[in-house]
Amino acid sequence: MRYENRLPPEGINTSQVHPLRQFLQLAIGAVLLVVMLVIVLQYAGAFVARRIPFSYELRVMDTLDIELGEAEQHPEMTAYLNALAGRVSQHLPLPDGLSVTVHYDSEDVFNAFATVGGNLLFYRGLLSRMPDENTLAMVMAHEISHVLHRDPVAALGGGVASTIALLGLTGNAGTGIAGQLVNQAGMLTGVQFTRSMEIAADDAALSALNALYGHVNGASTLFELFSASRERSSSLAKTQWLERFLSTHPLDEDRIQRISQQVLDQQWRADGELTPLPAGFQRWLAVD
Amino acid sequence: MNSLLFQAGSVVALLVLGFLFGRLAEKRHYRKIIQRESETQALPVVASRYPPEDRPYRQQLVTGSVVIASDYFKAFLAGLINIFGGRVTPYESMLDRARREAVLRMKAEALALGAAYVFNIKFDTTRIATGKVGAMEVLAYGTAMIPLGQAVGIQHEI
Repeated sequence: MRYENRLPPEGINTSQVHPLRQFLQLAIGAVLLVVMLVIVLQYAGAFVARRIPFSYELRVMDTLDIELGEAEQHPEMTAYLNALAGRVSQHLPLPDGLSVTVHYDSEDVFNAFATVGGNLLFYRGLLSRMPDENTLAMVMAHEISHVLHRDPVAALGGGVASTIALLGLTGNAGTGIAGQLVNQAGMLTGVQFTRSMEIAADDAALSALNALYGHVNGASTLFELFSASRERSSSLAKTQWLERFLSTHPLDEDRIQRISQQVLDQQWRADGELTPLPAGFQRWLAVD
Repeated sequence: MNSLLFQAGSVVALLVLGFLFGRLAEKRHYRKIIQRESETQALPVVASRYPPEDRPYRQQLVTGSVVIASDYFKAFLAGLINIFGGRVTPYESMLDRARREAVLRMKAEALALGAAYVFNIKFDTTRIATGKVGAMEVLAYGTAMIPLGQAVGIQHEI
C-alpha cells in the first residue's frame, strides 16, 4: 500500500473575511444595539420605579439599616440642615407623604447628594465653602427636587434594568475586552438620562429659591465654586462638547447660563440681599 | 475625564498594535508553514490506526506541540462576535496555524528518527491562558513507523 500526503489548498479551515471590515460592522452594530437597549430600559426602569410608592421606599431603607451621616456627633448642624430643608420644602410642591431627612457627614468632600428614602447627605467639604445661606438653600432645594421628582429611585430602577441587560448581553460583563466596549457604551447612554434629571432639579430649585427669599441671588454661586475647584483652563475649551457628552451632570457653565436665562425669562431679581449663615455655623463645622 | 480619554486611547492603541503586529506575524507564519509543508511532503502522515504490514517497522511515539497566543485585536473581535454569534473567524486562522505547526514539528521529530510514515495521528487542544488575551496549546501526536534495518538518527534538514 502506498501512502502520500498532498498539499491541501489554502483557505479550507479559515474564512476569507477582512478583519477590519468585520470589526467595524460588529463594533458599530454592538454600540447601536447597546444604546437602543439602554435607552429603552432606562426609560422603562425609571417609569416603573417612579411608580413605587414612597412609603415602600421608606420601609426598604428601614430594613436595610444603612447608617447615613453623623447625627450624634453633630446634633446642631443636623438640626439646622433639617430646619432649612423644612423651610425650602414649603416652596416646593412636595405631595403628602413625601418627606426628606438631611444627614451631615464630616468628611471633606465637596458634594451633597439625594438617595432613596428621601435621604439627603451633605458633606462638610461642601458646607465649609458656602458663603451664605442662599447658596446653601439652592443646593438644598436642588437635592429636595431630586426627591420630589423621584430621581434617586428612578435612576436606580433604570440602572438596574440596563445593567442586568448588559450583563446578559456580554455574558461576563467587564471581563472580556469587548465587554468593556459594551459597558462603556451603556454607561455613556445612561449618563444622558441623569443630566436631564439635573436640569429639571435646577429649574425647580431656582423657583423655590425665588419663593423663599424673593430673589435668586446666590443661585449660581455653587456652580462658580465647582468650576473654580476644577480649575478648568481655557485650553480645555475645545473638548467641552466631549466633556458635556461624557459627564453625569451638565457643565457648570451651562448651568450658570441656564440660571441666568431663567432669571431673565421669569423676570426674577438676581440682586437681592444675601442672608448670612447662622452665627454658630462655623463652630458646628469645627466639631470633629 | 482625562483618565477616560486615556483609557479609550490605550484601547485604540492596543487594537492598532494588535492588528498590525498580529497580521504581520500571521502572514509570516503562513509563508513559513507552506514552505515547510512542501519540504516535508515526502513523509506521509496518516490518520488510520492500521499500519502497513509490507515490512517490519519499529514504532515510536512522536509529538509536536505549539503554544500560540491571540492578540488584542483578535480577542476584541472574537468578543464582538460572541455577542452576535457566527463563525469566530479571527480564531479560525489562529488555530489553523497552530494545528499545521504542530504537525510540522511532529514530522520533524519523525524525520529525525528516519520514519517512513506517521500513523494514527491525533490532535489535542488546550486553552492555557485565562487572561484578556488567550493562548492555546495544540498537540499533534502519532506513531512513527521506522523501517527496521534502516539507520536510526539520520538528521533531516527542514
